[in-house]
Amino acid sequence: METYQIYSLTSAVLFVIGIGGVFMARHFIKKIIATIIMGGGVFLSLVSFAARDALAFADPVPHALVITGIVVAVASAAFALALARRIYQLTGEESFTIDK
Amino acid sequence: MSVLIDIILAILAIYLALQSLLAPRLSQSVFLFFAFGLALALAWIRLGAVDVAITEAAIAAGFLGALFLDALRDFSVSDTEKQENTKADQSLVSAKNTNSPWLPRLALGLGLGLFLLISLEAVWEIPSGGGLTELAEAMLPASGVEHPVTAVLLNYRAYDTWLEIGVILMGLLAIFAVGGRELYRKPVMAVQDPLLRQVILFFTPVLFLFGAFLLYVGKTGPGGAFQAAVLWGAIGILLHLGGWPVFAVIPRWLRQLLLTAGLGFFLLLGFLFIAGGNALFEYPPAYAGFLILIVETLAAISIAAALTAIFANLNQMKETPNETETTT
Amino acid sequence: MTITELITVILLVVGCFFFLAGTLGVLRFPDLFSRLHALTKADNLGLGFIAAGIALHIASPWSALKIFFIWLFTLLASSTSCYLIAKFQREQHKPQNGKEQE
Repeated sequence: METYQIYSLTSAVLFVIGIGGVFMARHFIKKIIATIIMGGGVFLSLVSFAARDALAFADPVPHALVITGIVVAVASAAFALALARRIYQLTGEESFTIDK
Repeated sequence: MSVLIDIILAILAIYLALQSLLAPRLSQSVFLFFAFGLALALAWIRLGAVDVAITEAAIAAGFLGALFLDALRDFSVSDTEKQENTKADQSLVSAKNTNSPWLPRLALGLGLGLFLLISLEAVWEIPSGGGLTELAEAMLPASGVEHPVTAVLLNYRAYDTWLEIGVILMGLLAIFAVGGRELYRKPVMAVQDPLLRQVILFFTPVLFLFGAFLLYVGKTGPGGAFQAAVLWGAIGILLHLGGWPVFAVIPRWLRQLLLTAGLGFFLLLGFLFIAGGNALFEYPPAYAGFLILIVETLAAISIAAALTAIFANLNQMKETPNETETTT
Repeated sequence: MTITELITVILLVVGCFFFLAGTLGVLRFPDLFSRLHALTKADNLGLGFIAAGIALHIASPWSALKIFFIWLFTLLASSTSCYLIAKFQREQHKPQNGKEQE
């Protein structure tokens, strides 16, 4: 088993954990964390594919894509956090409640 | 032997991800998320992606973790009081529809299991293609830098990087729109602790130097604009927390200049290239290294300013409603 | 195995031992202050040993200097944050210091 194969399998598991978290988690912060974990799975799969056909160095294009992606994911998570805190301040709710 | 390390790391990452979603208390799940980011950074070092590892450890674990910790001030205060309320609510809800919850849960579990199998199979069966390694390596002498990842980020795919700076700026604007009414205020209670102030003052030049080092070393090795930007942003965050709110002190035009310098200079450069008869962001090879260094520096300053502003804005969200209550 | 490699291995193993001891302390000690004590003291010592071992392994003075600075800054940051956490705990929960015990 090669190194990259372990991590590409891990990436699939992480992505599914993230999706499960997005559905199951109640609190806003946990939902945001779940989306970040999903993103981590996607980035891990990209980088592990880059490590697959490495010559002198690994394929730099996925690396650059992943760096860009991490920063964008963090920016959107920060926005989501701002929304969550605002909702909490205005309504006092910490999760999406369907009842009533 | 090395495969063993990889397997342990993979299991650790999966375990931490699961635990950070399943942890009963919010603070636990935030700290487990910190640990998850660091485990992922180690995995990236194992895969040979040192740039990505630095970015992950600095932005995704460090900066985002700091934002989550700051958000905990909001949410965890009411944790104990609210616990009973939510529990009562939950029992009410579950009493109302006791028979329905297991069906969607079963469906969700089955769907997730199926999805896991499909994605495992897709990842396993991915066809081996050449990738762009050879092309990136062949064009490296003309790019002006010696490190392939920096070459991709700032030369081959400069368009992406330019738009990414724009995305961060958009995120900041959206947070402005969501947040309070006043953009920057001095924190209500500044830190009075003398030791903390001294340590922050000590770390400011150190972090600045370290960021500049990362920025410069990006030309030849792992490092570059984003990693430097996070370190410089950390200076702003530390100063903000230590009672020197940088963004509340400096004049408005300077703030706006700092925030837009990277995006603006990048765009100006692109237009100049077009005026000179090249394509957008097609550097003339003779000056490429120098131009890339300038672009990286300005981009790092802009991103650092944006990160500081995001943190400062989220940090002062806590105090905003009290003020509106007292004024109205 | 040369003598340098042997010393490197010994230093790394000692560093790992201190990390293990520190982790055990965090998990088993009863209250926050002794946990902080275990975390900062044992772990920084372990980090120092590991840094020394790696610096010996790389054997270039420039890298050794950088590794030394990493260790120094980690010491500074961890001791400051330890102090801040302890101070916060004292101010917030003055009557319930031993509350973590239960």
